[in-house]
Amino acid sequence: MSQKLLEINNLTIRFGGVTALNDVSIHVSQGEIAALIGPNGAGKTTVFNVVTGYYAPTSGSFSLSGEKLVGKRPHVIARNGLARTFQNIRLFGDMTALENVATAADGLNKSGLVGSLFGLPRSRRDERVSREKAESLLRFIGLEHRAGQLARNLPYGDQRRLEIARALALDPKVLLLDEPAAGFNPQEKVELGQLIRKIRDKGHAVLLIEHDMSLVMNVSDRVMVLDFGNKIADGKPKEIQNDQRVIDAYLGVSDHDA
Amino acid sequence: MTSLTKFNLRDRFGDWWDGTSLIQRAIFRVCLIAIFFGLPFLNNPIIDTPNTSFESVLFYPLVMFAVMAVGLNVVVGKSGILDLGYVAFFAIGAYTQAIFGLHTELNFWIVLLLGMAFAMFAGILLGVPALRLRGDYLAIITLGFGEIVRIIAVNTEAIGGAAGLTGIPSPPPIFGVEFSVQDVRPYYWLTLTLLLLILWGIIRLSHRKPGRAWEAIREDEDVAAFMGVETFKYKLWAFVIGGAIGGAAGVIYASQILSIEPALFTLNVSIMILACVVFGGMGNIWGVMFGAVLLGYLPEKLRFLSDVRILIFGVLMVVMMNLRPNGLIPRKKREVISEKIK
Amino acid sequence: MDFSILVSEFASLTFDGIVVGAIYALVALGYTLVYGVLRLINFAHSEIFMIGTMACYGVTLLLGISTDADPLVTTSFVLLFSLIVVMAALASGASAVVLEFVAYRRLRKMQASRLSSLISAIGASFFLTELFRILTDSRNIAFPRLIDKEPLFVFSSAYVTADKLFVIVGAAVLFYILNRVINHSKLGLGIRAVSQDETTSVLMGVNVNRVVSLTFLIGGILAGAGSAFYMVFYETTKANVGFLVGVSAFTAAVLGGIGNVRGALVGSFVLGLIQQYSSAVLGYNWRDVVTFVILVLVLLVKPTGLLGEALQRARV
Repeated sequence: MSQKLLEINNLTIRFGGVTALNDVSIHVSQGEIAALIGPNGAGKTTVFNVVTGYYAPTSGSFSLSGEKLVGKRPHVIARNGLARTFQNIRLFGDMTALENVATAADGLNKSGLVGSLFGLPRSRRDERVSREKAESLLRFIGLEHRAGQLARNLPYGDQRRLEIARALALDPKVLLLDEPAAGFNPQEKVELGQLIRKIRDKGHAVLLIEHDMSLVMNVSDRVMVLDFGNKIADGKPKEIQNDQRVIDAYLGVSDHDA
Repeated sequence: MTSLTKFNLRDRFGDWWDGTSLIQRAIFRVCLIAIFFGLPFLNNPIIDTPNTSFESVLFYPLVMFAVMAVGLNVVVGKSGILDLGYVAFFAIGAYTQAIFGLHTELNFWIVLLLGMAFAMFAGILLGVPALRLRGDYLAIITLGFGEIVRIIAVNTEAIGGAAGLTGIPSPPPIFGVEFSVQDVRPYYWLTLTLLLLILWGIIRLSHRKPGRAWEAIREDEDVAAFMGVETFKYKLWAFVIGGAIGGAAGVIYASQILSIEPALFTLNVSIMILACVVFGGMGNIWGVMFGAVLLGYLPEKLRFLSDVRILIFGVLMVVMMNLRPNGLIPRKKREVISEKIK
Repeated sequence: MDFSILVSEFASLTFDGIVVGAIYALVALGYTLVYGVLRLINFAHSEIFMIGTMACYGVTLLLGISTDADPLVTTSFVLLFSLIVVMAALASGASAVVLEFVAYRRLRKMQASRLSSLISAIGASFFLTELFRILTDSRNIAFPRLIDKEPLFVFSSAYVTADKLFVIVGAAVLFYILNRVINHSKLGLGIRAVSQDETTSVLMGVNVNRVVSLTFLIGGILAGAGSAFYMVFYETTKANVGFLVGVSAFTAAVLGGIGNVRGALVGSFVLGLIQQYSSAVLGYNWRDVVTFVILVLVLLVKPTGLLGEALQRARV
């Protein structure tokens, strides 16, 4: 049994009168590609928002490699190995692709203003490391020819992939992908699946929110299902497909095999 | 309308610049600097300003506005923090020179550093509580801050009250060049040198981690945090740097003008500097200096404009935001296919 | 710091605080209503108020009423005052609608950043102030005394004069009318809907542009009415009168809870009182600093204001 990286225990979050997540326990293990599925409004993105420090949970806890992260600020959590992408693309539009990734890469070094201004050795080295890392990530994801282009001018597919490259710059232990295939055609979805596997092989575990079932079933080692803030299933893709509760809540009966 | 929004000076220059070698660039820079230093010697009726001498205009408002616009640009343009009280830093610098110059024997350069230090401290004092707020509220607080500083100056007799302070000493001679009442040129050269130093520093920072952090904060502060950027720290730094620059400008200004009063440091000044940043292209350092020069020079050249200066600045801001939100020379980056490590 | 005046003049200060608060409230409502629908602080709202004061003066100018003229008999006063209120309200209301159209509408369509809208607002504010500064030649404009200000009666230390009563009564009438509009009319429903959730409102068939224009109009009308009360009370105006009145009104709106109509009322009266009391203790010079300090404190300590509305919601 491989080591658990991201552990979410009994997470509950309420917004006013609405319980968005109710006693949800989820985990992602090393080397795993896990998927989080469920109808809209089930609370999937809320999980991401809580775990990256944006919302404070009403109760419950979560940790990464045993280190408790509840109450920590977003940039601290990012530096500790949890990086994400967004449902609606949120790149730094007026910065180049390279700069977008380099900004995240910067997150891992401790250089500050004084060092940058006076060209102190550590800062110079950190700068080089950030840029080289950004370049290599762009190459990894296949965007090196877009390095100098403004993020907002990139075509849609490239923007989605750039977001992934940016998140990878934080060397995340677990990469959180929020509907990365939205708006992709079938061919692009296949390539995305291959990319996700490449990312896992590189050493990052992946937690994926997705609505495209063929992608989810093809690429995931494990699937977790949320419905109205409750986890209703957790198991291998085949098991989930045949789980009656999941079918009732979300999958329905399909005309062909997923 | 489309042609208005698509015309881009930056790309034309950028195309040429990319084709030049290091030597060519060095020569270009030296020539440019020489030209700016030589401006006071230009004696041409075409550029002369009616009411005040051209040299005087070069000093204030031109190079002063340019310095302050660069300072405010770090805050508003690069980081996206709307600061409406920038004049406060300028005032703090000016009053530091006035008070220490009149009551102590401290060296001018020490006072300059002190002025910057006080302004930076004010930046921290304002920034620590205020930078946690959202944009509109932050803007209002900075406006309040600017006004509070002025009102305190008016109400405090110990620093001159409404009448202000007079008899402020000039800087000591540098390389044999005397700073006197009659000749404004050394002040201009001094400020120009300051501007060059500031430019060097800001450009360095812009191409590295701080620049990226600031821009990320401006683009999407929440996401910047998700990507590991220490947003609060960098916002505070932007404030402090902007403050230091404003303070330095204030010190030199006071040493030239010899007497200061609170009425010199009104909201109008903050708005004028803001107009330079907005007009020149938010975040674009060359654009804001160009904006400062244009908006400082034209009302002096065309005197009728001077009376309606604020009127025009107001219209300008509305028009710019609606038609060209990225400024006349936008901060659009050069789209090169390969990026080299600088 | 002198507390003796505070004690001896307490009734007078309190009464005046309520009067001033009523004027602030009329202006504060404009800020809060616009904030509710647009999430935008209309920086130029203070100039809308100023334009109202200029319109009041304009009416007296047109009617040939000089500043030396004797105060009027009550009935004539009521008629004249009503005319002034209507003209000021119209002037301010119209200016507000034009302002929205020129400075904000396009930015809203372009979904521009908040920074852009703020800068446009500031530009508009400065343009208007300067315009009127030039038109009035930077003079203080004197307004004739329309009503006799002899105290009708004295309550403790408070001199209750006709103009102050007028302000209070007039403001109360306007608040009542506003309440009917917001809570019992289709327009009010539209305003509340857009304040809560613009996207859904559009889907439900609400014409957002119309609601926004009308919100600006209402805010302008209220500010215009407030300006009339202001003129009767203070009897003077100038091009930058909007700045300080606007800051006070805005502080009042924030103090009560921006976006919340009841909050604007509560905040205005509380601020009016605080201003009067602090003037007595610290001296008039520090009044504006006190206002700013309150604004800063509220934003830092409890940004949702006294009535504690969540910043993202607006309730009327």
